[in-house]
Amino acid sequence: MMGTVGAAASLTVLPRSKARGAGEKIIMGVMGLGGRGTYLAEKFAERPDVEVAYLSDPNTRRFARAREAVEEAQDARPKMVQDFRKILDDDNVDVLINATPDHWHGLGTIMACQAGKDVYVEKPMAHNIYEGRKMIEAARKYKRIVQVGMQSRSAAYSGKAKEYIQSGKLGDIYIIHVFNMMQHPMRNRVPDQPVPEGFDYDMWCGPAPKLPYNPGRQWLSQWEYSVGPIPGDLVHQLDMSRFLMNDIPYPKTVSHAGGVNALKDGREIPDTQMVTFEYGPLTLMTESALWTPYMKKIPGNIRDSDRFPDWQFCSTRVEILGTEGFMYYGRHGGGWQAYDANGELVRSEYGRQGDKEHQDNFIDCIRTRKRPNADVEIGHKSVLLCHMANISYRVGNLRLEFDPQTETFTNCDEANKYIKREYREPWIVPDNV
Amino acid sequence: MLRKILLFFVIVVLCCRCSYSQWLDISNVKFRQEPTELAGPKIIIEYDINDPNISPESPAYVFVRYSKDSGKSWQFVPMDSLRGNGFDIVEKSGHKQIVWWGTSQTSFVDANQVEIRVRGIAMARIPAGKFVMKSLPGAGRDESKEISPDPDLPLYFMAKNETTISMYTDYLNEHGGEAAGWNERMTSENRCGIVRNDNGTYNVVPGRENYPVTYVSWYDAVNFLQWCGLRLPTEAEWEKALRGGLYLDGDAEKKKPNQMTERRYPWGDESPGVDGVFRCNFDSEEDGFAYLAPVGSFAKFASPYGINDLVGNVAEWTLDWYTTSYHAGLDGFRMVRGGSWMAVPAACDAITGATQLPLKESSIMGFRAVKGPKHITTET
Repeated sequence: MMGTVGAAASLTVLPRSKARGAGEKIIMGVMGLGGRGTYLAEKFAERPDVEVAYLSDPNTRRFARAREAVEEAQDARPKMVQDFRKILDDDNVDVLINATPDHWHGLGTIMACQAGKDVYVEKPMAHNIYEGRKMIEAARKYKRIVQVGMQSRSAAYSGKAKEYIQSGKLGDIYIIHVFNMMQHPMRNRVPDQPVPEGFDYDMWCGPAPKLPYNPGRQWLSQWEYSVGPIPGDLVHQLDMSRFLMNDIPYPKTVSHAGGVNALKDGREIPDTQMVTFEYGPLTLMTESALWTPYMKKIPGNIRDSDRFPDWQFCSTRVEILGTEGFMYYGRHGGGWQAYDANGELVRSEYGRQGDKEHQDNFIDCIRTRKRPNADVEIGHKSVLLCHMANISYRVGNLRLEFDPQTETFTNCDEANKYIKREYREPWIVPDNV
Repeated sequence: MLRKILLFFVIVVLCCRCSYSQWLDISNVKFRQEPTELAGPKIIIEYDINDPNISPESPAYVFVRYSKDSGKSWQFVPMDSLRGNGFDIVEKSGHKQIVWWGTSQTSFVDANQVEIRVRGIAMARIPAGKFVMKSLPGAGRDESKEISPDPDLPLYFMAKNETTISMYTDYLNEHGGEAAGWNERMTSENRCGIVRNDNGTYNVVPGRENYPVTYVSWYDAVNFLQWCGLRLPTEAEWEKALRGGLYLDGDAEKKKPNQMTERRYPWGDESPGVDGVFRCNFDSEEDGFAYLAPVGSFAKFASPYGINDLVGNVAEWTLDWYTTSYHAGLDGFRMVRGGSWMAVPAACDAITGATQLPLKESSIMGFRAVKGPKHITTET
């Protein structure tokens, strides 16, 4: 035993899943039954070309809500398992939907690729830079389709915004301003507690340290488990910024400002993150915080309508500043509006959310074996920005220089310590996937 | 001066309701209109309620609705307008009389078009006092012994049973219209059982009267309860109803100490299916039910106040928000308690909460009623 689950999974190194014919249903298992996992399970189960055969979560208390949603959406009853490896061991399963906490995104995806499964993995795609690179290697080595849950890429209005910008109508773009403002409450401080019955906490921790169980510990605000509450959401707008700029690859530098300023409840990951990325002449800046109640995500009644958000108070907007024009772009189907040099509105495009189109694209790519809209490499380069921002913060808000060839920092050795995490045996991402 | 007093009577006898409906059996409903000298006509309503289980600890909640147009539209009779011994919390069975002082409301133009319906729900009295709340705000849990906030709640009453399909169908028929809170999935004979007729009325699938209603959103539940003059329980009320207070007769009496103030389930700490004894309807067909169970099927395992099915069968909507939602105040998640027929035993305990968007309509979620102060918050 090499002490790695990657090695353990190498018992099934050769992809075993069979190719599905055009008329055959694609068989899926879902790993992680929180809100997003349950939503994805339900949406895929509603499709006539998919059967959700497994639902998996270490916490059995989560079973009923997801099972009910799936049983309402399809005729077949899913198997309920605490250990997702049962999904990987079933040769009849084609796809793993990975909607776990961040610390399981990487290894869960790599193990699924090793087992011959295609993967839909939620954002932020990887817990750290190293892990993201290994996910790409696994997808390529085992010839797997890996779609990242950055669905705005599949929304039609996003493509039109990209066309508009790339046609030069805004002139040369030198600044992109990305917002992500949210309202998070202070967490409750409670003592460590016994692990509740029906919860495989060891499995839940997986590659992360097995800290004493504490229901008040919000995993989203702890480095061991998360990329962070801001980056985990901000990655959508960062990804769209990259998309609109024709998938601009790597920034040369990153500088972070901010910290845990408002929500001093023991959290590790900042509640305020202002980040500057330098891409040569293009500067990408983020403004993000967890304590701004007046800034709202685009309301549900605007997301899929012929209306635009109130841009000034839209907490998830992207502003593109060119030499000849300016654009507001809204996530969640918020649409976009472009203004000329005189500040006159010259183009508007209503938006619709891209969730279904993103799922369609995934299914289509499973059958055609083409790269999906949010392929694993795209996902890596987008979440990389989140990691760079966090690392800048962790080394004291330093301006860091980045080498895209090695995906390391060139002016700060301490920063490179955060490229890869410490893995807890046996849940180790191997160098050779 | 001799006053001319016009006195006339209208008597309507309503049919007895099906005793399986989970409305309490109320019979011989009669009413008459009487003029008063200065306050307009008043309505005298009389009825019989003969349930032998009614007592101060297990009272009935009685409410009245009326129609002035032969049943086309219905109104709730405000409790503030009533006097007598047969409305709101009723602690004894027998013949009851209600006097409705309504002035303009009771000045019926055509008495022949007036209908009055009196309905009762079996409730449990939960005396004021402290209890041990082990769940934490926002779906957190405390299984240690370190948190024991002993919050205090005033007197309230909770329905002994989950709201049934039959009760909800009555509501649909009286409320009328598509917007009343019916959806197509309610026709499922395993998971609910309400069909909509072509003429816009609703029927219970035969045999399903006594099962808990499902596929109701949080808003549907609230609307039904407002129709009754009631509301949903808070999480604290739900948890106290399951565990019991530190004293089962309340902090004012303190004669009946609760021997298991931190019990995990209404009956104690045993898991629902341990030793081959099935104590609630959870995710096991060995409990006798593949899907829902009629309410009260596990009455032997009721809470210390005699409340049935708090765990298993249907998970129950509460008033409380999911306070640690990362989108608190935007998405409006609400807390659901008590596990369901599809839940593992651990999910049926006193402290496990689930979150749901309020528009969610599910075959594993229903609700029950509470009569209590309008806003109750726990002091921790």
